[in-house]
Amino acid sequence: MARSWSRLTLAGKILFTVIPILFVLTVGLVLLIVIAGKPIVDFLAANIWLVRFVVAATAILLMSVPTAFLIIYMEMKVIALMNLRIGPDRVGPFGSLLSVVHGLKVLMKEDFSPTGADRLVFTLAPVAVFMATIMALLVIPFAPGLFGADMNIGLLYLFAVSGLTVVGLLMAGWSSFNKYSLLGGLRSAAQVISYEIPLTLSVVGLLLLAGTMSLNQIVLLQGPHLVNGVATGGWFTDWFVFRQPLGALIFFIAATAEANRTPFDLTEADSEIVAGFATEYSGMRFGFFFFAEYVNVFVVSGLIVTLFFGGWNAPFPWPWPVSVGFDPGSLGIGLLLLIAIVPVVGTLILAAPFFLARSSLPAWQAIVIGFVLFNLLAIVAIAGWAFISFDWVAGLLWFLGKSYVFVFTFVWMRGTLPRVRIDQLMGFAWKWLLPASLLNLFVTALAIVVVHPK
Amino acid sequence: MSAAPPRGAADGREIPADDPRVQLDEALGVFEPVPPYPPRTEREAEFYTLGDGEMFINMGPQHPSTHGVLRIVLKIDGENVVDLDPVLGYLHRGVEKLCENADYHHSIAYLDPLEYISSLFCEWPGVMAFEKLLDVTPPPRAEYLRVLSSELNRILSHSMFIGWMALDLGGLTPILYGLIERDEIAEMLAALTGQRLLFNYFRIGGVNGDLNHEFLSRLGDWMSRATTQIEANTMLLNENEIFVRRMRGLGTMDQATALRMCMTGPNIRATGIPLDFRRAHPYSVFPELDFDIPTRDEGDCLARYLVRIDEIKQSLRIIDQCLHQMPDGPIMAKLPRLLRPRPGRAYAAVEGPRGQYAAYVISDGTDQPFRMRIHDPSFIHLQSVGTLMPGHLIADAMAVMASLDPIMGGVDK
Repeated sequence: MARSWSRLTLAGKILFTVIPILFVLTVGLVLLIVIAGKPIVDFLAANIWLVRFVVAATAILLMSVPTAFLIIYMEMKVIALMNLRIGPDRVGPFGSLLSVVHGLKVLMKEDFSPTGADRLVFTLAPVAVFMATIMALLVIPFAPGLFGADMNIGLLYLFAVSGLTVVGLLMAGWSSFNKYSLLGGLRSAAQVISYEIPLTLSVVGLLLLAGTMSLNQIVLLQGPHLVNGVATGGWFTDWFVFRQPLGALIFFIAATAEANRTPFDLTEADSEIVAGFATEYSGMRFGFFFFAEYVNVFVVSGLIVTLFFGGWNAPFPWPWPVSVGFDPGSLGIGLLLLIAIVPVVGTLILAAPFFLARSSLPAWQAIVIGFVLFNLLAIVAIAGWAFISFDWVAGLLWFLGKSYVFVFTFVWMRGTLPRVRIDQLMGFAWKWLLPASLLNLFVTALAIVVVHPK
Repeated sequence: MSAAPPRGAADGREIPADDPRVQLDEALGVFEPVPPYPPRTEREAEFYTLGDGEMFINMGPQHPSTHGVLRIVLKIDGENVVDLDPVLGYLHRGVEKLCENADYHHSIAYLDPLEYISSLFCEWPGVMAFEKLLDVTPPPRAEYLRVLSSELNRILSHSMFIGWMALDLGGLTPILYGLIERDEIAEMLAALTGQRLLFNYFRIGGVNGDLNHEFLSRLGDWMSRATTQIEANTMLLNENEIFVRRMRGLGTMDQATALRMCMTGPNIRATGIPLDFRRAHPYSVFPELDFDIPTRDEGDCLARYLVRIDEIKQSLRIIDQCLHQMPDGPIMAKLPRLLRPRPGRAYAAVEGPRGQYAAYVISDGTDQPFRMRIHDPSFIHLQSVGTLMPGHLIADAMAVMASLDPIMGGVDK
């Protein structure tokens, strides 16, 4: 035991220490609520925002890692197919677990910093980048009622937080004691700061139209609205992309640069400056950068969808949520009977054809097949019921679907385009995007004054 | 920093305070390129003295885009390359000396791995020089086979060039399209020669193997779609605004400089000089073949890239003619068992995918070459980075490097 403990890397030690502590804390909290009871429940009920915030923060932290895994896998597979390669195909179905295995590998690797590095800054830099990215997820509305916090300055908060990334990249570049890292850090600072300006200006026109900075309100404005108590509209023509096409285009380009994606991936240009700010990083510290990059891709895609493509609204008038007129609670004791009987009967019914069709099949195998089929059917039925009964399920699916279209676009661009040069990058931001976004703002403001004079 | 003695002090020599190493160590700390001490030339002393706001960066020998193990010490000011000092020799194997210690047949195998992407062109000048020494003329079928296989090798080399070019500019996909073509041709040549990479196909007085069914079926299969395939592969770059904007006007070389630098091959044809040794000093059966010499006038990276694409098309024409005109007959000339050329000298040059590949052989009458000198275009082209790179950004320096298409195996020999 002692020997294997000493063999663990720092990250492994931390992991194996933190998990039991978290487990004990959780069990203790549940016990405390059960034993101490009412006062705590009352306190939590009075401060429901606190509960909501803690739950949302935890959920976002937990969600961000699978999201990164999924996008990493998607990038590997999609670029492989574009390159006429096979891509990952060993671990899991179609190689889909390869990124998980990569994550575990990164966790087990040695954790070192180069001679001459500024240890403290070197260690803090990946954390800073990762935190800035995760914090941005807090305000994105995934579905009706499914968001971390509904701030009235949501968009401003988002820009402020995503600008923090550059601090982490600069820290990494400076503290690594490597000139390639330094160049990468400086490039990222120049790039992110330059593109922040068109990025922010491109949505000011949208803000003039929307009149709010709350991302929830912006999404609601693009959905069906009540006229005399009746929900009308809800077609995709209400999306802001049709009222702000230039703004959407500028936002998309600037967001690509902000997320350091091809063709603007100068900060980690491997053919020029090896790996940029991440040159000296390895193990989980590199993993943080890597995760942050892909979570950032998701954030940027989600933001584009939220602002310009209707967020969780469907592109056509969505007839649901529909009440199916069935309340399981009304069955009373019959519900228990239902839960007890339906699986058995269903399993037997589904098993019967297999048993009858092939006499060589033993009865228990037929029953296993029937059971699996019944469970699949039940999952589909429950999912379908949830899809039409709860608007957040449908909303979440619409949001994720639209977001992953943009994630795919980023991956597609990476597989297709070469990289721009640093002076072309800066020239494009200052000579084209900035005037274009100012023009967009001017035209929008003019239109508002002409159409709705107050 | 004052406590630690500067490196190099351990050998007991007195190091003066104006030694650049001392100044470097004091100014920048460790991990700096160590200049030779004392400076061997004035140029070295000047290069290793840093100006205001400048710093050194070691690009290579382990760097993703230096095409092998080239080390370039870049003196940069921000992102701008101010000056550079290429450091060669990381892949030196002493091929010339190895050839001098092997007999004439054996030394052909040593010539192969000089440029591992265009092996046949490394063999050819050596074999031709040996044939001149021995007064042997290969039969016409062997000459056609040499032209056929080497033109395939030229396409192989150029399709890899397209991929590398894109990779150095950050495009991930074209390299894999290039690798597909390369793999098809490598399989094809493996059917003809028995090897995928280092063919060792040419012999003194002929070639090693005749056409066979597998080679011809693979070649016919590939030729039927080669033109469209090459165009499809290059379309991703030729019509790409980012690629063209980065390449146009970059690393422009005028005709006078190109001649002064002894450039050959596509690099000089990109400046508008139609220098092609297949036409200028005709050898083998090239006088009987009909092909054009593609040139461009711009002399920039884009021209160097486009000239190579045009050359692929001309090579396809040559292969087509070879297949139609190839006579029947033997593939080897009659040779004595033991090769002992009379004392003398011979020089032979061929036009390869990168330029002029040449060999200069001195015989002293024994069965081994007395002196073997190999001329490789990569080495000649690499010296022009000193005029092309300074003044550009680091990213462009890599693009210039890729457009010259050097192979370090040939540079370091």
